[in-house]
Order: sequence, then structure tokens, then C-alpha cells
Amino acid sequence: MSEPSFEELQRELDEVVARLERGDVPLDEALALWRRGEELHRACVERLDRAELEIEELRLGDGSGRDSEPPGG
Amino acid sequence: METSAAAERKVYSVAEFNRRLATYVGRVRDVWVEGEISELRRSPAWGTVFLTLKDTRTGACLSLTMPRRRFDSIEPALTEGERVQANGSLSLYEARGEVSLRAGTLERVGAGDHAAALALLRRTLAAEGLFAPERKRRLPRFPRGVGLLTGVDAAARGDVVAAIATRYPAVRLVIAETRVQGPWAPGAIVTALGRLSACDGVDVVILARGGGSFEDLLPFSDERVVRAIAGCAVPVVSAVGHEQDEPLCDLAADMRAPTPTAAARLVVPDLDELRAGLGRSRQRLGAGTGRALERDRARVERSRERLAVAPRLLLERRRSALDRSAARLQALSPRATLARGYAIVRAGDAVVRDAGTVSAGGLVEIELEQGGLGARVEEVRP
Repeated sequence: MSEPSFEELQRELDEVVARLERGDVPLDEALALWRRGEELHRACVERLDRAELEIEELRLGDGSGRDSEPPGG
Repeated sequence: METSAAAERKVYSVAEFNRRLATYVGRVRDVWVEGEISELRRSPAWGTVFLTLKDTRTGACLSLTMPRRRFDSIEPALTEGERVQANGSLSLYEARGEVSLRAGTLERVGAGDHAAALALLRRTLAAEGLFAPERKRRLPRFPRGVGLLTGVDAAARGDVVAAIATRYPAVRLVIAETRVQGPWAPGAIVTALGRLSACDGVDVVILARGGGSFEDLLPFSDERVVRAIAGCAVPVVSAVGHEQDEPLCDLAADMRAPTPTAAARLVVPDLDELRAGLGRSRQRLGAGTGRALERDRARVERSRERLAVAPRLLLERRRSALDRSAARLQALSPRATLARGYAIVRAGDAVVRDAGTVSAGGLVEIELEQGGLGARVEEVRP
């Protein structure tokens, strides 16, 4: 399916942290959660690092006959 | 009866009737009618502008036409909802038998009072609940895309782009430049808003327009624009004019921002804050795992301690059992009896229980608690 959004990744990270902090998870699970959390953290940071503003002009039907076209095209 | 009545009737065809009616209607000249513009249909393709004048109290309507050039020369342009006095003559559209006032003059009532019209529209829309706080939607925390609706070559555009680029560039910014001034602006804004909000991934729209005169900003108070904002598929942030202008679009928008830059800040999160937050999450992740580890280590430690004391406990338990046995053994031992002052007398190997088993002058061994005696029997008393 499609890539999870940053928001989804961050929410899962928050959940992982919250579960770990409740402190009632068995050690094996805690380690698994930690690994998952690290993975999510890395994914989030990567998302932010590679973020680049994408600008698109919307051409409105103003009689010029043009419609939506990508920038710099 | 009926036949004779029918014979006397003068029956007109509709066309003829309308033609004759038109001459009557046409005699009504130079009349003034006051009402509110409720429907305005204007197209550059038409030479005539069509409007409906409405009596706000009774709802009574009158069709009104005006040559387009004449209508367009009215400054500022008239819009729906405004109160006007129209001067002209009546005419009949014969094909439909409809009467309309062919106006040569349209005057705003109340010294061209846009402000009054605006106040009225504001009251009407407010009464409808269009500006109600419960209608306001929350902005998405992480929009995938941001729509920007702005005027052509507007400084607002540059401000929004700059703010988003530095703050949170992880979005797609879809920009629609459109007319924001003049009689065409409301329609253009409505169209652009619809197109923007329909763009895939656009989760929020910014409506940005720098400052301007009261008239310049009027399109942003146009009823169509205000309704389009309230009904927009995604939340709308309005950054139009200056704070004191308060165009109606501000009231209908889900949020208002004092400047385009502020609007950009509202719609996207701050990258630095996000990074800091992620850093904190990671720390907590480590701390949480550390605690889980620590907890289990302590548990293991406790188990080990218990394991270590277990054999000693067992030994002690055995020892005390042994002690009890020893005590019981002790109780049975003759030594205890000797300790109480008794003595054991032996003759040879045998314990002497009967005086008759020894004879006078014989040797006996007497065992005491401490040591013993070798003794000779002096006398036997059986």
C-alpha cells in the first residue's frame, strides 16, 4: 500500500513510547518495542531530512485554454 | 346562454394579447422602484444585465434589466444584496408575457452604502449560523498539501512560500492565482477555491490577499465567496487585508491570520520543533527500555538471592530438627539421671538392682555424674 504519512509514523512512535513507559510489558516485548521505536524515529527523521517543498501552479480556466501544469514545465 | 355569450366574446390570441398589453405597460415611464438586488445575471456575452429587485419585507419581486455598459459603469460595482432605487420604464417581454423594469439608472440607497449592505449580509449570514464557532474545523497537524489562493503577482504569495519553505517543506504547495478585485473576482475566487480543495492531497487552503481599500476587499465579503469558504471541503485559513478590515471571509474561515506569513505558520508544523519532539521521543524510548531492563535485572537479582539462601535454610531446618532429636535423646540418657544425684552401681558387668545379688566384702563400681568410685560392700540389707 502507500507509504505511511509522517503523522502516522509519529503517532505510532508516540504509542510505542507510551507503552514502554507504562512499564508493564515483558522484557522481550520491551526490546521489540524499542527496536520498533528506533525504526520509527529513524523513519520520521528521514522524512524530515528529505523534505523538499514542492510547488505546483494551478491554472484556472481563464480563457487561455491552459489547465493545471507542473512548475518549470 | 353560453352560445350567445361566446358569440359576444372578443377572444385574443396570446401573442395579440401580449402585443396589446405591451402598449399599456409601455405607458408606465419614468418610475422609481426601490428594492434589494436578489439575483444578478451578467455575462460579457450579453448586452443586457438581468436582475431581480426584491422587497425584503414581503418578498415581492420585480424583474429588472439594464444595458450592460450602463451597469458596468456603476462604481463600485453593484452586487447582490444591495439596496437600490431603479428608474426606468416598464416593458413587457411579449414572448413570455413578463413585465420588467427597463432601468436607465440604478442608485444605491443610503449614499452608496456598501458598508450598510455588508452589515446586512453579515447579520443575515450570522443568523444562518455560518460564522458559528462550532462550525470551525481543526486544521490538520500535518497537511500533505497546502492550497494557496492569491492574487496575481501578490506579495502574499512570496510570503507564504518563504514561510512554508523554512518552516516545514514536507508539503506540496498548490497555488491558484486568480482575480481578487473587481466584479469578476467573487466568481473567480469561488472557482479557484473549489479547484484547490479538490486537488488530491490538499488538506487546507490559505486565502491570502494583502491590504487594500475597502472596495478592493469587497470580493472577500461577497456572499458567494463567504458561502464557498463555509462549505469548502477542507479547512480554510483567511489572511485577507488588515486586522481592522474584517472582511466576511474572515468570519466564515476556520481560522484567521493577521498576515499571509502567519497563515503559513498556522497550517504547517515547525520542523525544528518536530525534530526536538522526535529527539525527546527517542530519549523516552531509551529510558523506557532501560527501565524494563532494570526491572527485570532486579527481578533476576532477587531470584538469585533467594536461590543462594535456599540451601542454608534447608541446612538450618535440618540442624534444628537434629537439635530437637538430640534433646530428646538427652532426656532419655542416664547421664541426666546421674546429674540429678542418682548413681549407678555395677558389680562386674551387671548393674546392681537387687541388694541380694552382692555379698558383703564384694567389690562394686559406683558411677556418679562426675567420675566413679570403687567400693567394698560392708553390709547387705536385702
